[in-house]
Amino acid sequence: MGKKELKVAFLLAMRSLQRGSRSSVILTILIVAMCFTNMVFLPGMFNSIGQNITKQVVDYEVGNVLISPKSGEQYVTDLDATLALINGMPGVERATPHYSKAATLKYRQRILGVSLRAITPNDEKAVSPLYTKMISGSYLGDGDTGEIILAKMIAGDPSVKEEYEFQASLGGVRVGDSITVEWANGYTKDYRVKGIYSTGYWATDTTGYVTKSDMELVEGRPLDYADYITVKAKPGYSEKFIKDELQQYGVSQKVQTTTDLLAKSMGKALQSYAIINMVSLFVGIVITTVVLFIVITIKTLNSRKQIGILKAIGVDKAVIMHNYGFQVIILALLGIACGIIMTSLLMVYMTYNPIVTPDWSASLYLTPMDLISNSLILFVAAVIAGYVPAWQVSREDIQTAMRS
Amino acid sequence: MIEIYDLRRIYRMGDIEVRALDGVSLEIEKGEFLGIMGASGSGKTTLLHMLGLLDEPTSGRIVIEGTDLSLLSDYEKAMFRLYKLGYVFQDYALVPDLTVMENVSLTAMLRKDRTEGQYRKDSVEILQKIGLYDRRDHLPRELSGGQQQRVSIARAMVNKPDILFADEPCANLDSENSRMVLELFREINEEMQQTIVMVSHEDWHKDYFHRIVRLKDGKVIADGTNGSSAH
Repeated sequence: MGKKELKVAFLLAMRSLQRGSRSSVILTILIVAMCFTNMVFLPGMFNSIGQNITKQVVDYEVGNVLISPKSGEQYVTDLDATLALINGMPGVERATPHYSKAATLKYRQRILGVSLRAITPNDEKAVSPLYTKMISGSYLGDGDTGEIILAKMIAGDPSVKEEYEFQASLGGVRVGDSITVEWANGYTKDYRVKGIYSTGYWATDTTGYVTKSDMELVEGRPLDYADYITVKAKPGYSEKFIKDELQQYGVSQKVQTTTDLLAKSMGKALQSYAIINMVSLFVGIVITTVVLFIVITIKTLNSRKQIGILKAIGVDKAVIMHNYGFQVIILALLGIACGIIMTSLLMVYMTYNPIVTPDWSASLYLTPMDLISNSLILFVAAVIAGYVPAWQVSREDIQTAMRS
Repeated sequence: MIEIYDLRRIYRMGDIEVRALDGVSLEIEKGEFLGIMGASGSGKTTLLHMLGLLDEPTSGRIVIEGTDLSLLSDYEKAMFRLYKLGYVFQDYALVPDLTVMENVSLTAMLRKDRTEGQYRKDSVEILQKIGLYDRRDHLPRELSGGQQQRVSIARAMVNKPDILFADEPCANLDSENSRMVLELFREINEEMQQTIVMVSHEDWHKDYFHRIVRLKDGKVIADGTNGSSAH
């Protein structure tokens, strides 16, 4: 197959698309574009959910690396020394302890059981963006005692009746109000609500925070232990690097990266997402393949006589086959380009209008690699779908073709 | 130039055997304008299809300029049609999505011995010759039947083929356009010494042929120069 043959095949293909049925060309391009969008939409959504959950877990739960008590122990002990060691290590932005304790919150007639967390607010700022999520009032300071910050869902909305609440709340606590906290150890104290926040992460949005200093008063002793320590890596340092370093430095607690934790907690979900993605991809490919196969089959059947004539005047069957092949290639490329444009517009729209649930929010997260790989898969499927009928019809003998 | 030996083409329709060609032997000389005539179903189109490599004989041989057509592969047949033969069909058979110029240039574009400049020049010349140069950018559907047939002749002639086959080229034309097409064939034959083999069932066409071969039931029943019809 030489350059001249390819040139003639391309000319025939271009002219057929330019001067043939416009509506058929536009519909075919649209179908390929919709198939492409269908192929990338669900995976993009699941990617976004995965990214979102990972970010929330990193931001509000575990940082990049979580240090939890070793097997058989309840707390991470020798806290100050451990924190000093970790904070001195290269690649560590900051390490900060979390200590949770069950409590009953009372405000007017409302009583609500929650697990409150004790933090060191300034260290926490280096690890979690919680301080940026205050919707009223202000964040905690290290020395604050008798002050609490509450999630918006816990504070509640005074305009919503208790029976209509999605999540039990204190019914409309505002900044500056006083609430009574009855801790699990029986210690009871009034706290001033210093701030109210909302993060969009369920676990954080169903709790409240006090300072570690305050919790020491509750416990009646210095807190040289914690439920766990969250570690934030400096930019450019991987979780794996920090984990290995912690183990090398002799941190004897259980050390897990976010990836380790998510693999355990999200493993099943990720498997399910992968299955749905595969189904979506498979359906998209099958639809595109079938549609293009039908389009090209109809085209070739309608042009059988013309194919016979082309062969009769000396046009080789390879030229005829490539004519239809080029038509499919052009339709597939235009369809994929339209699909990429449609997907990009959807990405922009969903960035500003994400799907929000109490657990996660999702937009459309697609990397250039996702777009390229899906484009290639669709392109190959389309070319196969087009070349098969083109090959079949090009092999037909001249008499049969011309008689049709 | 063309030698045909005991050519047979038998079609089977269930138990019925139809002998479309039944032992035709002929020789056609270079520069001849040969008319193959006969009633419908006499086998004239079948014979033309065999000569033009559009169909395969059941038995017998065709030799064109020393080449035994039965020995050619599919690709060689396609190249033989491209380089040696020209074909004019009853229903013009132009590519509807190509302009007049593109239709005429199409096969010339495929030839390895022609540059782009050459085939463009040849296409322009042939279109000027048939008087359709000013319609070169029109699509076939924008032309009359007679004009389309002239474009079809131009397409067949652009490669300067050794033999031009024409399968009832006037069947869809009125008498005026038919005469114009036949005059064009005559002109091509006389000016360029072009060998032309034309199938026709119109008796008045015989005035244009040098030689007439008459077929009946797949057999040659008469073969002679115009006016003599002796065998």
